[in-house]
Amino acid sequence: MIVELGHFALVLALVLSLVQSVLPVTGALKGDARLMAVAPPVSVMLFLLVGLSFVALTVSYVTSDFSVLNVVENSHSTKPLIYKISGVWGNHEGSVLLWVLILVFFGALVGTFGSNIPAPLRSATLSVQSWITAGFLLFILATSNPFTRLARPPIEGNDLNPILQDIGLAIHPPLLYVGYVGFSITFSFAVAALLLGRIDAAWARWVRPWTLLAWVFLTLGISMGSYWAYYELGWGGWWFWDPVENASLMPWLAGTALLHSALVMEKREALKVWTILLAIFTFSLSLLGTFLVRSGVLTSVHAFATDPARGIFILVLLCLFIGGSLTLYAWRAPMLKQGGLFAPISREGSLVLNNLFLTAATVAVFVGTLYPLALDIVTGEKISVGAPFFNLTFGPILVPLLIAIPFGPVLAWKRGDLLAASQRLYAAFGISLLACLFCFWLWGMQRVLAPLGVGLAVWVMIGASAEILGRIRVREVGAARAFSRLTGLPGSTWGTAIAHFGVGVTLLGIVTASAFQTEQIRTMKPKDLVSLAGFELTFEGAVPRKGPNYTEEVAHFTVRQGGVEIARLDPSKRVYTARQMPTTEAAILTLGVSQLYLSLGESRGDGAVDVRVYYKPLITLIWIGCVIMAFGGLVSIADRRLRVGAPKPARKSKAVAAAQPAE
Amino acid sequence: MIFWILIAALTAVAALSVLVPFARANAGRAGASLTGAAADAAVYRQQLSEVDKDLERGMIDAEAAKAARTEIARRLLSAADAETAEQGGGSLSNWPRKLVFVVAAVLIPAAALGIYGLIGQPDLPDQPLVARLSAPAETQSVATLVARVERHLADNPEDGQGWEVLAPVYLRLGNAQSAAQAYFNTIRLLGPTSKRQADYGEALTMANSGIVSADARASFEKAVELDPKNAKARFFLALALGQEGKTGAAVVAWTSLLEGADPKEPWVPAARMQLAELKGEPVPGQAGAPVSGAQLPGPSAADVSAAQSMSADDRTAMIRGMVENLAGRLADGGGTVDEWLRLIRAYMVLGEKGKAEEALTTARQNLADNAEALSQINAFARDAGL
Repeated sequence: MIVELGHFALVLALVLSLVQSVLPVTGALKGDARLMAVAPPVSVMLFLLVGLSFVALTVSYVTSDFSVLNVVENSHSTKPLIYKISGVWGNHEGSVLLWVLILVFFGALVGTFGSNIPAPLRSATLSVQSWITAGFLLFILATSNPFTRLARPPIEGNDLNPILQDIGLAIHPPLLYVGYVGFSITFSFAVAALLLGRIDAAWARWVRPWTLLAWVFLTLGISMGSYWAYYELGWGGWWFWDPVENASLMPWLAGTALLHSALVMEKREALKVWTILLAIFTFSLSLLGTFLVRSGVLTSVHAFATDPARGIFILVLLCLFIGGSLTLYAWRAPMLKQGGLFAPISREGSLVLNNLFLTAATVAVFVGTLYPLALDIVTGEKISVGAPFFNLTFGPILVPLLIAIPFGPVLAWKRGDLLAASQRLYAAFGISLLACLFCFWLWGMQRVLAPLGVGLAVWVMIGASAEILGRIRVREVGAARAFSRLTGLPGSTWGTAIAHFGVGVTLLGIVTASAFQTEQIRTMKPKDLVSLAGFELTFEGAVPRKGPNYTEEVAHFTVRQGGVEIARLDPSKRVYTARQMPTTEAAILTLGVSQLYLSLGESRGDGAVDVRVYYKPLITLIWIGCVIMAFGGLVSIADRRLRVGAPKPARKSKAVAAAQPAE
Repeated sequence: MIFWILIAALTAVAALSVLVPFARANAGRAGASLTGAAADAAVYRQQLSEVDKDLERGMIDAEAAKAARTEIARRLLSAADAETAEQGGGSLSNWPRKLVFVVAAVLIPAAALGIYGLIGQPDLPDQPLVARLSAPAETQSVATLVARVERHLADNPEDGQGWEVLAPVYLRLGNAQSAAQAYFNTIRLLGPTSKRQADYGEALTMANSGIVSADARASFEKAVELDPKNAKARFFLALALGQEGKTGAAVVAWTSLLEGADPKEPWVPAARMQLAELKGEPVPGQAGAPVSGAQLPGPSAADVSAAQSMSADDRTAMIRGMVENLAGRLADGGGTVDEWLRLIRAYMVLGEKGKAEEALTTARQNLADNAEALSQINAFARDAGL
């Protein structure tokens, strides 16, 4: 009964989302308050219906109801409870259902907490959100129904892909989806604004918290996914330029650009047209990612099922939403009034620079991801675009952006003074130069790039605090006044500084982990010893062990430093019984922010095993930096204040002539 | 019934989520929402007060504040213009009213139930595994029952009663190997009885395609030790003697087993047949049959009854398994003419003529120095049309 109730709730949600697609937006266009009033309650109702459906599916997973085909295909009665629950979205049907759940969740959030948003904008936004919802509900019911039943249920299921049987699956997809799908609401806001023809500073104010929320979760989701791949796949890398990873990186880059351009739009009413376009592009890239992952065009751990019908369905949805919104944009954009003016060297100018580089980086990733696919389709030739391509394109694009990060916040609005801004960054520059020279002294001249990279990371980190230091003006007003000014600083200022600091931290992790990673690969017999980066690892022997739904061969290692035992590591090779599928479980020893990574290869006869040991200095900074970035975003959301970018007035009338139109 | 009530309730709530806000706004209670321009103006007014606060806190200087105020004031003015323009055209038509009522009260339920009727399976109840496994036994398939006991035993491997229940079921399903293991566990946990030892030996024998192995014989001997009257154990011990070629001892064993046995016992005819074969007498009830396989290791009575209770597929599989066993044994060590004939006949029954011919050739090679056997085989081949 619960299963069928969930199925019915999903059907009802489809019908209701179609109603929601029409009524509120009609009300908004005709100025009918009654039709607009329908939007918020229905958005909540949609969330409840899809939520009920999701709960029903979860219940059938938890109770191992093998009369549901989806449960048979992806679950097993001996699977631990947490993986029974996370298994709900560890497959194609369930993950699309989660996708839609988050779609309606954001709709319900706007319906519930968006009472300060003008009614027409809110109604139209919720209608647009329902277009997407209806499209994907139709997709689920037509091609990927998780509620398909079996009249003669088998006694046992096929189990879940063992790689996915990890705590990572419980956290990574929900976080990523909240981010990925969260940008749907900014898309809906943008399309609604285009429909209503009202695009102004206030719009950016309404959209700000939603963009930030989606961005925060996407940041966490991507970094979590990266860490998961790092410890679960057993090759010790943290980013593989895998097309599926790129599919989530592209919306992140575009979303980051959107975040910054929306700032200009809110504070100075400039960059309006561009911001709307970015909002459309960001979600389009999310949709594109969904298409790449769900259609089976790409084969990876994420492609749960390959079914051409599904691919075509998503492709049609993709064309409809992206094509439709861009057509609307082409029609409306020329009617928009020009916004505020600003000089090239100004806060706005620096944000335009930020947008340029982020967009270029997005394009680089886009090309690197889609070119091989296009080539395969057109000529049938299979090529793979890997790290070398991205290191040559993505890297150089990001370097100037990173250099520019500290300048942005210290420049004045409308017209800035680069020299004055630089003066405020003297200290930061000095410290990073020292760090750079120290690294050269420490490591010698063999690796020229690494000290430069460290210097850049320190520059970004220290430079992030420049705005705060500049605002409190310790030297001018004294310590006591400075402290009260410090606590009085708005949340968004803190958010900016924290997030930029996080970028520096991540960069530092990337530089040191890639430049100074050391590794040893060898075949070890019991009591063999391997030395690496001052550690001595002794292989104590391997023993078999039995888990709830797998058997494993656990190798015991003792780690010594200077003859003193500091840890024991137990990497293992597992075979999941239901699918007879092997996995490698790496053992990781975290020392401060560095890690010792131990992973098993093939086991030979006579008790010997192939072992890979890596020492990765400062590697956890990569993910810690991402968490700091996300925290900065949260601090910024908490700032409910309206933002005003007070323009720096022209000292002489000549300067006004130098100001450029915004768009 | 509850299901349909819940469905109706869900549908009603969904329809009301459209109707109620619509009707309330109609009555004018929720009509005070801001128009776009008015909301914008409110934002700009708030921005103006933010500029004042920033100035107070010293975040910006007076000059910048003045510039900001000018800019915001400009936006505020244009928003105010738009607001008056919007207020001008505010007459609402009445058309949506009927439409919305139709949509909410008719379209939503009809469409939802219609689509669900096409793709849903309202009659199919939930079937959580635990409930399936604990449902009354008579409603369950044997496979489910076995799974249920297996799960129980996986959690409580020391439950001898469970193993004892499971063992004969395995045997009936043709899974003699598991049955032997289950009997072994039963004896280990509950202690040996004559019946358990005999059953264990029987399972071992069947797992060994009818040959009484040393382990099985030990078990039968123990059974007889515990209860000298145990007919099953004595039956298999007699069979073992025959299989070992100890004809004299076997005849004694069979005779003593049949003495005083109730002729209605199911094993009695088989025992008589064995005895007659050993003595070289015509086989009772099968006199005149050209070849009798009765003295050969074959399916036991239990085997046959197990085969009868199986599905056709399982039965074929079981037969096939036995035939392959026989073929393997003959290929390895050769055999009597009767065994060869039985193998060839079995292949014919299974419809595998190619394998039958292959077996025929091998048999001829194997029995080349036995003229009588060769003529017997040739006669059979002629009859069978090979």
